Amino acid sequence: MIDGMIYADRHLLQQIEKDQTLEQIANVATLPGLVGKSLAMPDAHQGYGFCIGGVAAADIEVGIVSAGGVGFDINCGVRLLGSPLQADEVSDRLEPLLNQLFRDIPCGTGRKGLHETTAKELDEVLLHGAAWAVQRGFGREEDLARIEDGGCLAGADPTCVSSRAKERGHGQLGTLGSGNHFLEVQKVSEIYDAGTAERFGVRENQVVVLIHSGSRGLGHQVCTDYLEIMNGKMKKYGIAVVDRQLACVPIRSDEGRDYLAAMAAAANFAFTNRQMMTHWTREAFRRILGTGDLRIVYDVCHNIAKREEHTVGGRRKQLLVHRKGATRAFPSGHPALPEELREVGQPVLIPGSMGTSSYVLVGTDRAMAETFGSSCHGAGRAKSRTAAKKEITAEQLLDQMRAGGILVRGRSLSGLTEEGPAAYKDVSRVVDVVHGAGIARKVAKLVPLAVMKG
Amino acid sequence: MSEKNKTREPDAGVPAGLAVVKGQFSLIEHPADLGFEAQGPTLAAAFEQAAHGFISILVDPATVSGKERREVFVRADDLEQLLVRWLSEVLYLYDGQHYILAECRIHEITPTHLRAVLLGEAHAPERHTPRTDIKAVTYHQIAVESGPTGTCVRVFLDI
Repeated sequence: MIDGMIYADRHLLQQIEKDQTLEQIANVATLPGLVGKSLAMPDAHQGYGFCIGGVAAADIEVGIVSAGGVGFDINCGVRLLGSPLQADEVSDRLEPLLNQLFRDIPCGTGRKGLHETTAKELDEVLLHGAAWAVQRGFGREEDLARIEDGGCLAGADPTCVSSRAKERGHGQLGTLGSGNHFLEVQKVSEIYDAGTAERFGVRENQVVVLIHSGSRGLGHQVCTDYLEIMNGKMKKYGIAVVDRQLACVPIRSDEGRDYLAAMAAAANFAFTNRQMMTHWTREAFRRILGTGDLRIVYDVCHNIAKREEHTVGGRRKQLLVHRKGATRAFPSGHPALPEELREVGQPVLIPGSMGTSSYVLVGTDRAMAETFGSSCHGAGRAKSRTAAKKEITAEQLLDQMRAGGILVRGRSLSGLTEEGPAAYKDVSRVVDVVHGAGIARKVAKLVPLAVMKG
Repeated sequence: MSEKNKTREPDAGVPAGLAVVKGQFSLIEHPADLGFEAQGPTLAAAFEQAAHGFISILVDPATVSGKERREVFVRADDLEQLLVRWLSEVLYLYDGQHYILAECRIHEITPTHLRAVLLGEAHAPERHTPRTDIKAVTYHQIAVESGPTGTCVRVFLDI
């Protein structure tokens, strides 16, 4: 068993103590073959088995992989696009821009994609990720370097993805989804680290776009399938868990290898998703604002398990790092970063809740030393959906957004109130904790101009 | 608990449509997602009510009717797993096969399997008012409890 460690200030810790997060951090600490600590970021809240905002690393040779340690929405993640435009250049065109985006990018409950894939095409998506989309005209070759793992996790095997998962996924490629998924047109309101911001391609008052989306039904089914498989096979490996959602198997087992191959495939589906939405965002900008030259600042996963090398007890070790609602935060010099970012470090993108700020940070050496190169992923929920709906009506929320100069379009009024800022922790506080702890460093603050939600 | 091991045999003279079993369904607060409890006078009735309640989270059930018949067989190691797999089946039919359950009748249920007949229809976005996407059915705090007044099931969903 290992120790647990939580990154939080007093206020956030009080919120964390209110649900089962602490118990879940402790439960994770009992899993076989984990090294270091069972970690929780300041946005942590109760999840299924693992808490959201949790990081746990397993020794590749003797440790476990857990589908619940990644989550149902495999490679739910965030992508930031930078435009050549300044905020005052677009202020009178925001409404038509938002309307165009809403027309062009499928979003919302049950919405199907514009590009229904054949079985062969879907397998290629699962194998090649964002590169598949680029080859078909959804973006540019230079996009790939600015996506975690080049937009394609190695080791993907479409044969490890069930036919059910493929059935759920084939009509959902290029869709935003619903719930807490969104696309926001934002402006850069503050720069904290000018040198790093410039290297990232971020400048004050710049118009940017943040996209938050995942692997849709395909990823959800992959996790569901492998939770069942792992639950069924644990006994064979002498593993018992206190919570069925912690079901796990040895990394070096057939089931572990199959899960990681399926997880990689689902991650590639999500990368492709965000790549297609990037293309449509560029087209909408071109149509309404006269330029589609949006460059990817970066694209990060925040539900994933990665094979990485880290120093543990003074020795270099191969680990499988589970990040469930946590973001990789590699420092300058890390070989996994593309050449254009290696000198400065990896962008860490932290979306706020609707109507609040988002942040760009950069990874640090301290993150490598303490958190397996990980940081927080967002604001983290503070209230249940039913409680959030009781606090404010959709009309009141829309009025609030309008009063703040923020345009909103959403497919579901109920969805808006469930995702309103009052339902979430204060993202600025969360970001200040990781900055203060030194596991990521603030680079820029982004504020919303127009929000599109499913 | 004899209720847990009961197999419900089809009623004699069952009509061509299915009877909707009277029961209860209520949502439960959860920090991030959604949970619910469903009750029925029998294990089968509670599982049927759970499916109806589950569908009502996905779409407005008043917009769903249907005569397309499907048969479902689910196997599990225990009742909790049976419940998760049953609802996961309903979710897969909705999200993967675009089939929405309107009525269901479980005519055989034990702790390790169930057989059901569903009536429903193909998903038509213009007619079926969507409500909330469900990513998955979880094992979080799952419960299947039977007593003198019937059976209550509890399940949490990742949305």
